[in-house]
Amino acid sequence: MIQANSHDDSAHGSHDHGEHHAPPAQFAVRVLRQDAPGAPSYWERHTITRENDMNVISVLQRIAAQSETADGDKTTPVAWDCNCLEEVCGACTMLVNGKTRQACSALVDKLLAENPEEIELRPMSKFPVVRDLMVNRSRLFRALQKVQAWIPVDGYYDMGSGPRVSPANQEQAYPLSECMSCGCCLEACPQFTKIELKKQEGETDEAFKAREQAAFDRGFVGAHAISQVMLFNNHPTGAMNAPARLEALMAEGGIQDCGNAQNCVAVCPKKIPLTTSIGRAGRATTVHAIKKFFDR
Amino acid sequence: MEAAVEAARQGTFFSRNEFLIRRLHSLTGLIPVGAYMCIHLLTNASTLGGPEMFQKNVDLIHSLGPALPIVEWTFIFLPLIFHAVVGVVIIRSGNANLSSYYYVGNVRYTLQRVTAWIALLFIAYHVFHMHGWFHNAWWLENVANNELGGHQFDPHKASSTAAIALASPLKKLFYGIGVISCVYHLANGLWTMGITWGVWTTAAAQRRANWICGAFGIALTVVGLAALVGVTTTDVDKAEAYEKVRHEMNLEEQQRAEAEAKRLKSLSPAEREAEAKAQAEKEAKAAETKAH
Repeated sequence: MIQANSHDDSAHGSHDHGEHHAPPAQFAVRVLRQDAPGAPSYWERHTITRENDMNVISVLQRIAAQSETADGDKTTPVAWDCNCLEEVCGACTMLVNGKTRQACSALVDKLLAENPEEIELRPMSKFPVVRDLMVNRSRLFRALQKVQAWIPVDGYYDMGSGPRVSPANQEQAYPLSECMSCGCCLEACPQFTKIELKKQEGETDEAFKAREQAAFDRGFVGAHAISQVMLFNNHPTGAMNAPARLEALMAEGGIQDCGNAQNCVAVCPKKIPLTTSIGRAGRATTVHAIKKFFDR
Repeated sequence: MEAAVEAARQGTFFSRNEFLIRRLHSLTGLIPVGAYMCIHLLTNASTLGGPEMFQKNVDLIHSLGPALPIVEWTFIFLPLIFHAVVGVVIIRSGNANLSSYYYVGNVRYTLQRVTAWIALLFIAYHVFHMHGWFHNAWWLENVANNELGGHQFDPHKASSTAAIALASPLKKLFYGIGVISCVYHLANGLWTMGITWGVWTTAAAQRRANWICGAFGIALTVVGLAALVGVTTTDVDKAEAYEKVRHEMNLEEQQRAEAEAKRLKSLSPAEREAEAKAQAEKEAKAAETKAH
């Protein structure tokens, strides 16, 4: 069942006020830049000539082509991450006018209808900045590792066909499978707070990564990982590993850190019923905890 | 370096038992703390029924006698302190972001934390104001009673002392805000608890549950504020007169019981046996006449 949750459409820039202002010929873009991990950030203003059908990606391409700020100073291109350019990979997630969303689906004309003065771009605030609008989202993927968000069916022999999946199960699973690991749910979550470690002097890459992953494992896993647990636990083959995933959800930083603010479901660009997944995971962990207590 | 990673993996007592502690925090919010609050507010609302009714209810609670402090500590104070301490840890673990994401759910999340702080301050003040925190003679006489205006409530003079303690409009306002905060925290907490434990999972089910929790919250707010109306309309002189008569009657009864106990104690074993025998005969006769 695909349940439409209380979506604030303005978060996705699809608000139509029914008014038709003439779009400005030019507009300002304010970018929060940062030269290196841990370096101080600074604002930079750019003036862009409006063209039809622009999105934030094409704005960033214009900025790179102009290589000049609004004040006429020479500058380097703004760094950002992108891949698919059609809102299915999640790589270009950033804060557009203060809200977390994908740059590729943030259309300039709609943003200017909301605020004709300027467009503000900032990197996501919950992940360490690599440079400018590019962040390191490895914690997001570490959480998927922690909860074993996969079905282990690799082998050297033919395991035969898997069990049949009922249409009802498929309908429940499909929306959850649309998750593109963009991190919007984490960015908007008041319980998901930034973890940024600094590499110590003389520390090897391996040692730093181990220290970082230990820190990530203690932090909140987030709505995306909880929803993936429900996706794989409800699959007949994936259910064989359900207890291990529930154990991971009950470890430190697990589902118990959820504060039920429900921002995750409000900002999810794929409209995944994340809070339903959280409720189901709550029930599954409740039952698992009781079973564990009485069965051991 | 590896030791640091190992230490991080091991974590603290809280982090190792985070799931259990968080679920206990959720549970104690409803049982016994929330349930107690409902009983407390209902009892208070009986001030509307006059000093007789309120005094009767207070006496019922105090009929537990020496067991009352044990019951209070087991079912009220310890769970409440646990809920508050873990709650402070939880609040500090989050970062409210209402200005960026102004959604209904987020407003409720933020309010849950704001009302938690108000409730904590209010309950700490309320227990001091009415009971002086500790029922220790030296403490009450030298600290709580005189200088700081605590320990205003006397269970033998329930209506009059409650009315006097809450005579000032400023105190009534503070109590009103405190009660509403506590009720919001319970009603909203009940709703989030249903998600946490997995009682209501889908958005539609959560909306239905929201109506029920909202209705519960409004009803409990009415009950809670009724007590403030009750203490406002209480006629202190009349209540005091009633409480005095009642207290004297209770004292007389107590003295009679004590005298009887003393008399029985002074009897010799033979006399006591004779008396017991006479009593038994009397009872047997009464039973016989009843049977006929």
